Amino acid sequence: MRGVLILVPLLLLLLAACQPKGPSPLGAEVAFDPNPPLLGPNRITIRVDTKKKLSELKVVGDMTHAGMVPVEAEARQVSPGLWETQDFKFTMRGDWVITLEAKDSSGKRYQQEVRITVP
Amino acid sequence: MKTLRFDLLRLPLLGRFLRWRYSRFALQLPLLLLALLALYDGFFGRQLAPKNFATVSVWLHYRGLLVLAVAVAGNLFCAACPLLLVRGPTRFAKRYLPQLSWPTRLRNKYFVIALTLVYLFAYEYWDLWASPWLTAWLIVGYFGAAFVVDALFPEGTFCKYVCPLGNFNFALSTASPSQIGARDPEVCLRCEGKYCVNGRVDTPQGPKTLKEAPTENAPRYPGCETKLYVPQIRSNMDCTFCMNCVRACPYDNVAWGLRWPGLEWVRARYKQDVVWLGVLLYFAGFMNAFGMIPAYYSLAEGLSRLLGTRSEALLLGSIYLLWTGLGVGLTLGVSVLADRVSGRRDRPWRSLRRWGIAYFPMAFAMWAGHYAFHFLTGWASIVPVAQQALLHLGLPLGQPDWTLAALVPENWLYPLQVAIIYLGLAGASYTLFARAKREGATAGAAVIFAYLLILATLTLWVLAQPMEMRGTLLLSPST
Ligand code: SF4
Ligand code: SF4
Repeated sequence: MRGVLILVPLLLLLLAACQPKGPSPLGAEVAFDPNPPLLGPNRITIRVDTKKKLSELKVVGDMTHAGMVPVEAEARQVSPGLWETQDFKFTMRGDWVITLEAKDSSGKRYQQEVRITVP
Repeated sequence: MKTLRFDLLRLPLLGRFLRWRYSRFALQLPLLLLALLALYDGFFGRQLAPKNFATVSVWLHYRGLLVLAVAVAGNLFCAACPLLLVRGPTRFAKRYLPQLSWPTRLRNKYFVIALTLVYLFAYEYWDLWASPWLTAWLIVGYFGAAFVVDALFPEGTFCKYVCPLGNFNFALSTASPSQIGARDPEVCLRCEGKYCVNGRVDTPQGPKTLKEAPTENAPRYPGCETKLYVPQIRSNMDCTFCMNCVRACPYDNVAWGLRWPGLEWVRARYKQDVVWLGVLLYFAGFMNAFGMIPAYYSLAEGLSRLLGTRSEALLLGSIYLLWTGLGVGLTLGVSVLADRVSGRRDRPWRSLRRWGIAYFPMAFAMWAGHYAFHFLTGWASIVPVAQQALLHLGLPLGQPDWTLAALVPENWLYPLQVAIIYLGLAGASYTLFARAKREGATAGAAVIFAYLLILATLTLWVLAQPMEMRGTLLLSPST
């Protein structure tokens, strides 16, 4: 019994240390136009290292609060390493988590999160 | 009992099910499985609140469905609460641990009121709603606390004196359209064992209480853990709807009866601590909604300049203290004034006890309006988050559809919230004037009504503001 009483808290501490692993980091530079962004359509430009040879890049916006429909937009490459989406629409004022989800030509996945407030 | 009308236990299937000794376990099991899924996704899933089962299920669905269940039936979430499944392990642990009795000074609601305030502060300060990981820890914490308290203290202590969630449910379920009561009080007068509260063992000599036959090897039916005595129940306060009393009564004399919603506000006499619970839940509910609107951030910015600090703990704590202190002070003052105009001179606490029941309908409306907003804006998002969590577990369920969210068009939400607040105000006014008429204090009721009208207007103003879904990034704890 004593063993169980010690083991359970230890297992819980281990759980506390578990932070989930995701795809590889994208390491992009992200810029919003206008900055800070406004309600409605905004331009988001993403500069990525050309060595990553991305084939697609999607921008997904979620609010930090549960329950809101996410906003999604495909980015297109406008010059080597420079991606852009023109029609990313913030639907509510408040805090947003922008997730860049990318794939390279070999199918490897990358991800990056950017936090931004729509005032 | 006259106040109870139709007995739900007379419904053939429901009655049989609830009398079955494993019925509570059957209700707890699905919630336990959901809690385990929330723990799994909270610890191992993506750390993004709208896309994690822990945050969506706890902060949208659990809270939303809880008020809905309380409004249409009763305290069903305590009935199905998986926390009490720690009972098996605690029975085992009790063999090795000292058995303590809950301190007499804490046998009231003040401790749980303090815990609730601490919890609400933590909710804002650590943005629990935005963190799947912390939400999972909150669930672990709840199970841990239930285990420790249940292992060391008598059964029922956790629900009655410690659990903030349970006491929130108790307070809100005073509005419910159903209540436990005795079918025929005459039978109770003749009942030798008061088994509904003392528990029952079926011995060959007939029914005995659990204390009378502690070691008898026969079917045992525990009584009410929160020590409610069925023929005297006038309120849903402290009733977990566990149905122990139904199973323990050898005379089938317990009813789960329908009653007019909120009827108990007019008839029951709450103790001082219970009245405080209602008052503080109203002001805490207001603060909880106020924390989501731009005015809160302007106030925090102003206070930040005034105090020369960016510490969120200090700013949030100050706003909480200011608001709660102001609310409590004003409420006491208005209660004293109401007594004076109706020709009474009493201590402020007694005045509050006289008039405080009117805050229960207001508290119910405040929380119901707020939770309805979150639940209705995002109810369908439970489908993709559950799907994603199960996908992680390896179940082939297809790709989640993240566009699922709202239950009703957005422009319905505010009118719905207004209707709920008006209902709360109507309930409070009816309670006030019905009680005041009985006591010949209608002038005093008018004073309280005017105060509640101001509070309801303030509430409507808060709910009318654009909800900013919280400024987690505006004030960082480290700044
Ligand atoms: S409800 Fe049943 S057990 Fe309780 S006092 Fe009445 S008859 Fe006895
Ligand atoms: S045993 Fe007590 S808590 Fe359970 S349903 Fe009966 S009165 Fe309510």
